[in-house]
Amino acid sequence: MELMVLAKSNLKYFNFYTGDVVMNYMIEAQDLTKSYNTLMAVDGLNITIKKGEVFGFLGPNGAGKTTSIKMMVGLLKPTSGRVIIDGTDVDSVQKGIIGICPQELVLWENLTCRENLDLMGDMYEIPKDIRNLRVQKLLDDLFLADKANTLVSKLSGGMKRRLNLALAVIHEPEVVVLDEPSEGLDPQSRRVLWSYIRSMRDEEGKTVILTTHLMEEADKLSDRIAIIDHGKLLRLDTPENLKREIGEGDVVDMKLTDPSRNQVLINRLINLEDVLSVVEVDGRIKLRALNAVGKLQKAMAMVEELGIRVEDLSVHQNTLEDVFIELTGTGLRA
Amino acid sequence: MKFTSIAIKDFKEIIRDRRGLFFIILFPIFFMLIFGFAFGGMGEANTPHNLVVVNYDQGATMPFTGEKVNYGDNLTNVLKDSTYENSDIKLFNITTTSESSAENLLVNREVDAELIIPENFSNSMVALITSTVQSGTSTLTGVSADNATSSVIIRGDTGYIGFGVSQGILVGLLGQYQEGVVTGVKNQIAGTPGAEPTKFIETNVEAVSGTENFTQFDFLAPGMMVFAILFLSTTVAAVLTREVESGTLERLKISKMRSFDFLFGGLIPWSLVAGAQVVILLGVAILLGLHWQGSVYSIFLAVIVGVIGGVASIALGMIIASFAKSSTQAANIGTLITVPTSFLIGAFFQLPQVVIGNLMGQTFQVYDLLPWTHTLNALRSILIFGESWNSVSFQVGMSILLTVVLFIVGVFLFSRTRLRAEN
Repeated sequence: MELMVLAKSNLKYFNFYTGDVVMNYMIEAQDLTKSYNTLMAVDGLNITIKKGEVFGFLGPNGAGKTTSIKMMVGLLKPTSGRVIIDGTDVDSVQKGIIGICPQELVLWENLTCRENLDLMGDMYEIPKDIRNLRVQKLLDDLFLADKANTLVSKLSGGMKRRLNLALAVIHEPEVVVLDEPSEGLDPQSRRVLWSYIRSMRDEEGKTVILTTHLMEEADKLSDRIAIIDHGKLLRLDTPENLKREIGEGDVVDMKLTDPSRNQVLINRLINLEDVLSVVEVDGRIKLRALNAVGKLQKAMAMVEELGIRVEDLSVHQNTLEDVFIELTGTGLRA
Repeated sequence: MKFTSIAIKDFKEIIRDRRGLFFIILFPIFFMLIFGFAFGGMGEANTPHNLVVVNYDQGATMPFTGEKVNYGDNLTNVLKDSTYENSDIKLFNITTTSESSAENLLVNREVDAELIIPENFSNSMVALITSTVQSGTSTLTGVSADNATSSVIIRGDTGYIGFGVSQGILVGLLGQYQEGVVTGVKNQIAGTPGAEPTKFIETNVEAVSGTENFTQFDFLAPGMMVFAILFLSTTVAAVLTREVESGTLERLKISKMRSFDFLFGGLIPWSLVAGAQVVILLGVAILLGLHWQGSVYSIFLAVIVGVIGGVASIALGMIIASFAKSSTQAANIGTLITVPTSFLIGAFFQLPQVVIGNLMGQTFQVYDLLPWTHTLNALRSILIFGESWNSVSFQVGMSILLTVVLFIVGVFLFSRTRLRAEN
């Protein structure tokens, strides 16, 4: 029995028996940078992902999420920085530790579902008998059993998405990377996917990295979320902490009949007492304030004073999206 | 063994991609049909040549008898009736027309040659006969020989093989015609019927054994096979690039699959396709009248040679796929490379000799640097001349050697550009 856990700090354990520092995180990105000519796709990213957590990468399209992930799993060489997976440099990490479900559908269209899975299983050197069991279990879990012998080209979009995921986990990897897995999914397939992601963490203890631009998905599934934009990490915390961070306030969401007058109104609203922020997002005005409902009367008075008409108005509690708006000053470029 | 799974996967994909399969199999067959139709009769020994005759001959009157003669018409009829030796197949299909329409026929290659008989042709013949008669007998003095000369013109496109052949035959026939007329007159004077003058030099044209009935198509058919095999590189390049484009290669890259598994696995089904192409195209060519001299053993040998050529094409496909940015681009680059290469290896016609040295007693030409040149040479020897392994071993050996070199280059480039982490 090794003597461990004598010094615990900052996710590291010092093993006095071997003298090694033992990590309890799965992936560590150190100052990761990727530039294409003048474009800085990822800019000095420092992230640690713990074992057994669902880690969400939240950011608009083109924020650098996929590039970051590709570097973190060794598919793309960083311009500078390094990635350590389970204590080993990504270049020398044993193959099969990571499973990737890419953003695009990456399937062999002229093979059946079973043939796709069986091929990838063989590529990971899973013995035939175990492979057969796993293929069947995945087909069952992802509701593809009755399409097992159907050519991929004949499947619906949702079915293809589920098979895309199954291919990423056929070899039971330690780390599962899901790049925008809900993209283009119908609500039913999305529910299947989300419950499968939870079961991977809760029942199989897998580390799941999830990129998404869907707030709800990031909020519901992630243990921790990294908000990233223009290749930079803006914030990294639990969804609860992120929401708490920007206060207890509510948000008044307003749409004017004439959006060209948004700025005039924003300039007036910002001077209201206790207003935390007023921004324009996708042609709508978002006013965040403590006791927003109480501010509503004054706000409407200003609207009338300016002779502006309101087309749509709602008040809701802070969401992750509001966190994002607070951090970036803009909405998600979905 | 992972490469077998890749081979099975590729094989299933090839078979199930109906459109791709259609292209791989039918495209060369289509070419073979066209070439068979176009060149099937060309060069065959007993085929009539198309000749247009423009006869300006005004005719003449024979001295002594006062008989009206037209040797221009006579020559035309002689040409019409001439047949191949020991055969009743005519030498010429003759059309008589005006000079301007003859010119059109010639330009469009609807005829092989044009024969223009001048207006004083009969006069010249009469003069020839008169001079023969005067020199043959001393009693017929007082008749002056009208020493008229006329020029028979053989006109044609000198760059056209059909003209070359027809011209050769015509020159011979015109000589014989003149000689025949002279001999006939001499025999009449001497009162002896039709004795031929003694010949001191005789010329015989002999064909290489088995090639008596050969046509241009027999030369082209193996070329078509190699063209089809070479064209495989286009499909292989497109398929490999599609695997990159669709991301499936990336999926495989992060698995435990090695470059060897992917490339060797891919090699197996595509080599089988190359072998199948040889068999299918040989079948089509035979249906189109290929004079092949092989046996079942020849087909077996031809398939092996075809498979080696196929491997070279796959290697070329890998090289193209190493640089192509999309499958469409791969197909375009492939076509851009394979079509000129087909010409370079002599698939469509023989190229001028460009000898760069000697190797094992064989002249080594610049085209011999391409493995498919040897594939083609070997296939021609095996299928057309029924040669055995011994006589093609050098060609096959060279083809293997060059294929190995090309394959190493292909594996190196594809592994380096596609099977490693992106930069």
